[in-house]
Amino acid sequence: MRQVFKINSVEKELTLNPGDTLLQTLRDNGYTEVKCGCSEGECGACLVLLEDMPVNSCQVFAMSVKDKKISTVKGIGNLFHPHIIQKAFVEAGADQCGFCTPGMVIASYALLKKNPKPTKQEINEALDGNLCRCTGYVKIIEAVENAAAILSPKVI
Amino acid sequence: MMSHDLQWYYPEKISEALKLIQKEGVILHAGGTRILKTEPRNLKGFVDISHLKLNYIKKEVKNIIIGAGCTLSDVINYCKKTNSLDGLCMALAETASTPLRNRITIGGSLKDFPVWSSLYSPLIALDAKLELAGVKELCSLEDYVKKNIIKSKHIIKQVVIKDDKDIICRVMRFNLVRFEYPIFNVAVALKVKDKVVMDSRIVITGVKGRFHRFKQSEKVLNGSTLTDEVIAKSTEYFVPKFHHDYKYSPEYREHIAKVYFNDIVKELKEDMK
Amino acid sequence: MFKYVNKRSEKIDGLSLATGEEKYTDDFNAKDVLYVSVLHSGYAHALIEDIDDSAARKMRGVVEVLSCKNVKRILYTTAGQGFPEPSPYDSALFNNVMRFVGDNVCAVAAESKEVADEALKKIKIKFKELKPILSLRESEGSSVKIHDNDGSFPKIPVFYDADKNIASKVEAEVGNFELAYKSSTCKIEYDFYAPYANHCAIEPHASFSYYDLRGRMVIVTTTQVPFHVRRIVAALLEIPVSQIRVIKPRIGGGFGGKQEVLLEPIVAMMTLRTKRPCKLVYSRKEVFKSTRARHEYETSFRVGYEPDGKINAFHLDALENSGGYGSHSLTVLSNAGSKTLPLFNKIENVKFTGKGVYTNLPCGGAYRGYGATEAYFGFGQVVDMICNDTGNDIIEYYKKWSIKSGETSPIFQALGEGKEGVAMSIGSCALVECIDEGAKLSGWYDKKKLYSVDSEINKGRFKKGIGMVALMQGSAIPEIDMASAYIKMNEDGAFNLSVGATDLGTGSDTVLAQIASEVLDTPVDKFIVYSSDTDHTPFDTGAYASSTTYLSGQAVKKAAEDIKNQILQVGAEILGVEFNDVEIVDNKVVLKNGKEEVSYAEICQYSMYQKNQFQIQATASHVSPKSPPPFAAHFIEIEVDTFTGIIKVLNYVAAVDCGTAINPRTAEGQAEGAIVNGLAYALFENYYFSKHGRMLNDTLQKMGMYTSWDIPPIVVKLVSSYEETGPFGAKSISEININGALPAIANAFYNATGKRLFKAPFHPEYVLEVLNSAKLQENVYEVLET
Repeated sequence: MRQVFKINSVEKELTLNPGDTLLQTLRDNGYTEVKCGCSEGECGACLVLLEDMPVNSCQVFAMSVKDKKISTVKGIGNLFHPHIIQKAFVEAGADQCGFCTPGMVIASYALLKKNPKPTKQEINEALDGNLCRCTGYVKIIEAVENAAAILSPKVI
Repeated sequence: MMSHDLQWYYPEKISEALKLIQKEGVILHAGGTRILKTEPRNLKGFVDISHLKLNYIKKEVKNIIIGAGCTLSDVINYCKKTNSLDGLCMALAETASTPLRNRITIGGSLKDFPVWSSLYSPLIALDAKLELAGVKELCSLEDYVKKNIIKSKHIIKQVVIKDDKDIICRVMRFNLVRFEYPIFNVAVALKVKDKVVMDSRIVITGVKGRFHRFKQSEKVLNGSTLTDEVIAKSTEYFVPKFHHDYKYSPEYREHIAKVYFNDIVKELKEDMK
Repeated sequence: MFKYVNKRSEKIDGLSLATGEEKYTDDFNAKDVLYVSVLHSGYAHALIEDIDDSAARKMRGVVEVLSCKNVKRILYTTAGQGFPEPSPYDSALFNNVMRFVGDNVCAVAAESKEVADEALKKIKIKFKELKPILSLRESEGSSVKIHDNDGSFPKIPVFYDADKNIASKVEAEVGNFELAYKSSTCKIEYDFYAPYANHCAIEPHASFSYYDLRGRMVIVTTTQVPFHVRRIVAALLEIPVSQIRVIKPRIGGGFGGKQEVLLEPIVAMMTLRTKRPCKLVYSRKEVFKSTRARHEYETSFRVGYEPDGKINAFHLDALENSGGYGSHSLTVLSNAGSKTLPLFNKIENVKFTGKGVYTNLPCGGAYRGYGATEAYFGFGQVVDMICNDTGNDIIEYYKKWSIKSGETSPIFQALGEGKEGVAMSIGSCALVECIDEGAKLSGWYDKKKLYSVDSEINKGRFKKGIGMVALMQGSAIPEIDMASAYIKMNEDGAFNLSVGATDLGTGSDTVLAQIASEVLDTPVDKFIVYSSDTDHTPFDTGAYASSTTYLSGQAVKKAAEDIKNQILQVGAEILGVEFNDVEIVDNKVVLKNGKEEVSYAEICQYSMYQKNQFQIQATASHVSPKSPPPFAAHFIEIEVDTFTGIIKVLNYVAAVDCGTAINPRTAEGQAEGAIVNGLAYALFENYYFSKHGRMLNDTLQKMGMYTSWDIPPIVVKLVSSYEETGPFGAKSISEININGALPAIANAFYNATGKRLFKAPFHPEYVLEVLNSAKLQENVYEVLET
């Protein structure tokens, strides 16, 4: 079947099956920036924003969010117009293999939008759904702290 | 893998939804997380609840009323903002993960009652009641499970919790890392007046029979000021029975549950001051 | 001292990773792709008597079914190692005997993943169940033979005895252990247990194959060893190596788990048969059950020493669980000795013995630490025990007895990888500085005073302790691993740098560019780095054995030096002076003591278009005569809840000598990642099995991975030294830091409670048993039996 979705501020008609998850639907239609690490709602590599809320797209049926604004990591910033959070990740060395990074960026963005000056504890809580095996999280937390320090609530 | 000819329904009235789920293979869809985990067989259709306007939280008379469509995050945010239901808030804040809490609904979580649920123990301790669609009388959460209403075709409309500042509640869960499902959740709620326990409810989930209330232990606490002696006595009656689990022996879990129960009551004693 | 090296450069792929632009294997696709699904054995040990795939083949959308029935039996090892591999040739692509739960039964290629999965259910297989071996200790000499006259053989001349289920065996001795042990005043003997572990790279294994426009096989795959993939797939498909191109796109973490050739031959065989693009992506459960793990280990230590602490005799015996196939069995085993024993090189009588045995449990493979992690668990505690027993301060003890710059250990020569090792003396070594630095940063002496079994602070339920350990590892496999690089110059003065080295998230593309930058005095962004494509980059053995910075880095440095000479030559020609009159400064060739200069761009344009034209280009290879060890000292402070047995890590300090850190930021990242991985291995990660050998905790949640919420404060301090044989003084850093958590936590636990932990992980139920046991120091197996 075909269905229109609002992705990264653009209305797109996507092909999908009614039982498909949002993750399958996005990846099958070329949004490969949304990564699949487990399909079980555990790793967080597939995070997208639904309205302003991060969710595991592998745990969401696509047909249940057809009316909602969906944003992938590219909706936050792209190679030519990167978001401050994305730059902060690079500057801090928070990306090693990078597979978890889109999800991490999404979770960080949602946090800073809600809470521009988070404590370390609040950062840890906001990232509790994102697994990373490369970094030991040290530089990821540093990146979010740095981004928060740069960002004023208005910019985000 | 889900069937390709699944039907999606988006009713705007609860009565309509109730009618739809009577059909064979048609189930209610709230957040969808449990459906994806359990992949029910012979699924023919989903009745999506997002248009039923069940995502509200309000104070009414002496109750806090939570619509079944609220996500765990909605409840946490409300509790933090209004400074209410501390114990429930703390338990939910540790449940699953941030992105899953944005998706898991109260109704869906109650209907499915996974063994690792962090929602049940505080809600039973707080003596929460459910309003089911099309049913006039409220049903206690305990009865909902015990009388197997949970297995029937129904729609939870809202959860009703007493808004009583004299009730204090704490919850503890056992897991080694945040991300691991807890092997049990212990919740203790006390109604306190002038530093004396007027009433108490002690609940554990993750045990044989899904949940257990320790009425003997409650009896010991009631009317007391939580002296060390009282705490020790109530712990004696706190003997949860666990299923076999590959990570921990039942004996170990029983031991840890006792330690945690003790810790909670001691913390509550501090809270009473 | 350096301009581009030893700088915290951003990763060259950083922004494209953070914006989701980079492509990983599963992000490649073709419109006529076939989806491949693999059926994995539910039996730990079974003979396939018959396979009937006719019903599956009749299904709409099913294109091909592969099994032992229709795939030629060619023995190989799945280990992605140099040729000839030191791992036994004991597996075919599809075996007719299933040797662990998760072993490959057959595979289906179909028009959709759903149809492929459905088709697997329609394949009728007649299994004959065989008695399994589900314990490490029951394997050797069992009447159950796991490779029973199946033709398995060692590819190199080493001990191998499939009749006794022995996949590998190592023996080495320096001096005379037994004699010296007998005559020692003090003797200790302890056993330790280290469990299975999974790499848990966030990207699951995936492979995608297709024919290019001229009918050559292309394989895009999640690999650490693209050149080994090409060689092995060619052998299994019986086509020439030149007919295969392996592309390594971005890799979502490896840690050794992708040093294994598992999925590639399946998709390639499907493409060969169907002539269509084929894709196989493993689910997380398949990664857990069917790929490779850290080997399970039992280690036994026997040490004879004198009351002043001097060790006379040291014996490490290791028993390794290889699982169903002997991938990396021999080399991991050798490394258990060769990466630990040389640390105390002054011991005159040292013995290492070990066996790797087959069982019907998951297969071991390469995993960060590679045997050293398992061996340091006991090694680090034995040292602590001797210090406690003899009243030595462990800090001073390590400083006195550990290997130093200019010294050697006979073990280096005695223990190689399937053959004799390579004698070497230690070049750079800043272990003493690491120990001092770590002691200072962790507040070692103050805390050591504060914490003990009897101290006031440890009277209650919660007890605190601090422990430390010193470590070494290696950098590349000497005289075996080879790396090469190619550089060419472009007319704007920028360069293409092609390397066979495989960046799997480590940042090696960036690190290698920094090395070339330093030689050519040109910014990092002037290098267009392309890595690991068997058609377009020169050979490299792959990203393993802590080799990329040290080995591939030196190849890059050599190639860059060649380029530098060519640039100077052309520059001198343009300026009309002699070669010796010019030098390079900031993308320019300048006259020494003069003002004339010519830019790189002008030089390249000249060499391309004007006179004596040629392409400024160079290629270089490197093999190392030694494997210089990085060193580290780890300090861990813990709190034990004696009511529950839960150990909480309060602080972790690691001081690490990796020579010159080419990129301190990525080097720190390597250390931090390894530390957290090591902590998880020490505290909770494990494989739980059903009584039939099925892994029970086969999801990330059930494995219980760390999130940012759980990690303790971690301080990594890089202590520099200069390794003459490495590029700009560099050694490795990727593996060493996974080895510290097990022994240092156990030592801290002893400091807090006076009891020893012999069995990893330090699961709270086990810890509580230890705490409640009457004896002060218990052996692991006694505890297990009570």
